[in-house]
Amino acid sequence: MKRVISVLTAVLIIALSTVAVSAAGLNSGEQSVLSNMRTPANMKGNSVYVPAAYINQAEAYFNTIDMTSDQASRINGIIGQGRSFLEGTGKSGVSELTSSEKQTLLGYASAAAGVLKMSAAAGSDSTKVKIISKSGDTIVDDSGSVIKATGADSYLPSVIILSVTGALLILSSAGVILLRKKSYGYEKIEK
Amino acid sequence: MKKSKSKRNKKNIKNFIVFPLILCAVMFAAAFAVSAPFLSNIFSIGAMFMSDKQVDYSKAYDNIFVPTDTNADTVDASDIEFPGINKQFGELSIKGRDVDAKLFFGDSSVPLRNGVGIYAGSFIPGYGRTILVAGHNNTYFNGLKNVRKGDIVKISTSYGNYKYKITGTKLTTDKDKKAYDLSADKENLVLYTCYPFDSLGLTNQRFFVYAEKESGPVITGLYE
Repeated sequence: MKRVISVLTAVLIIALSTVAVSAAGLNSGEQSVLSNMRTPANMKGNSVYVPAAYINQAEAYFNTIDMTSDQASRINGIIGQGRSFLEGTGKSGVSELTSSEKQTLLGYASAAAGVLKMSAAAGSDSTKVKIISKSGDTIVDDSGSVIKATGADSYLPSVIILSVTGALLILSSAGVILLRKKSYGYEKIEK
Repeated sequence: MKKSKSKRNKKNIKNFIVFPLILCAVMFAAAFAVSAPFLSNIFSIGAMFMSDKQVDYSKAYDNIFVPTDTNADTVDASDIEFPGINKQFGELSIKGRDVDAKLFFGDSSVPLRNGVGIYAGSFIPGYGRTILVAGHNNTYFNGLKNVRKGDIVKISTSYGNYKYKITGTKLTTDKDKKAYDLSADKENLVLYTCYPFDSLGLTNQRFFVYAEKESGPVITGLYE
């Protein structure tokens, strides 16, 4: 589901990235796109919304560009196509989409990226979408979760602790073998 | 004869179970005590060899922050350079609580290695919406363990200086979506870091700090 939504957002953001001028504020075109993004898709009676986090990312990016009305109308067209596609699948939620349907959505993103000479990549874990401008700047780098890992370099400690524990167990075993040898020696003398 | 066998069994239990366990625990504790100060570096080096993900060790970033003394109530959007992803655009501090960091827009590895970062799906100060800031528990946000209700969080940007009063804290998990509200239409500051504060491993617990805006310019003219 996240992937589908991410791709939809990616399509929107990529298509709006032709002009890279710093200009805080949202013009009417940008506002219409945001408003369009907030409109739910009706999937078999269920309203499916784009999460606020994605819309906010788009809004933040729109604050850094000046979108033309032509770009806005093209983007609104893509949003409409995406919404129609979702509604036309006959599914009641994005989680029910087949991989082929997801690929179709990815196709929108790829086509948009190609036209605008930008790149979009969906990660294999299906929760990452990275959008990079032609100048190499990262426009959107979504790790798939709002709350990040903010501990000491994350997953590594467990690996290292396991390795250290293993090493210590080997050393302990060596100690046991030595004790055993001593013990047998003692038994021999007893006999 | 029987007595001798029982003695031997006891000895075996001691030699094969008790001693190894004690030895293991003692050696583990000793190794941890010796390496604790260097663990962070060891983990980073280890990541280069053991990670299945592409790790960005870069510390390079763009900085658009220029301190200002402006105390205006408002600032027009057209006078602001909206920060791009992973750019430093300010500083965040809490006096007397050992929190003083560069503030970035974006919360990927580069911002968090150099300071604290605003989630790109939230907003910058003055926007009138939620500002969600992440920082590492063993570096820039370690000082969050010292904060008290009523403390002031200062955020300096190129377009104005902001103060937020801490209203409370919360300990919850990283999956708790009620810990923040990205749809809020009132300016609110949320800081968070991993918990426990001095833990070195993975944790799904997060310590959140909530603050309300006290002062600072409102960005106007956002919607032309």
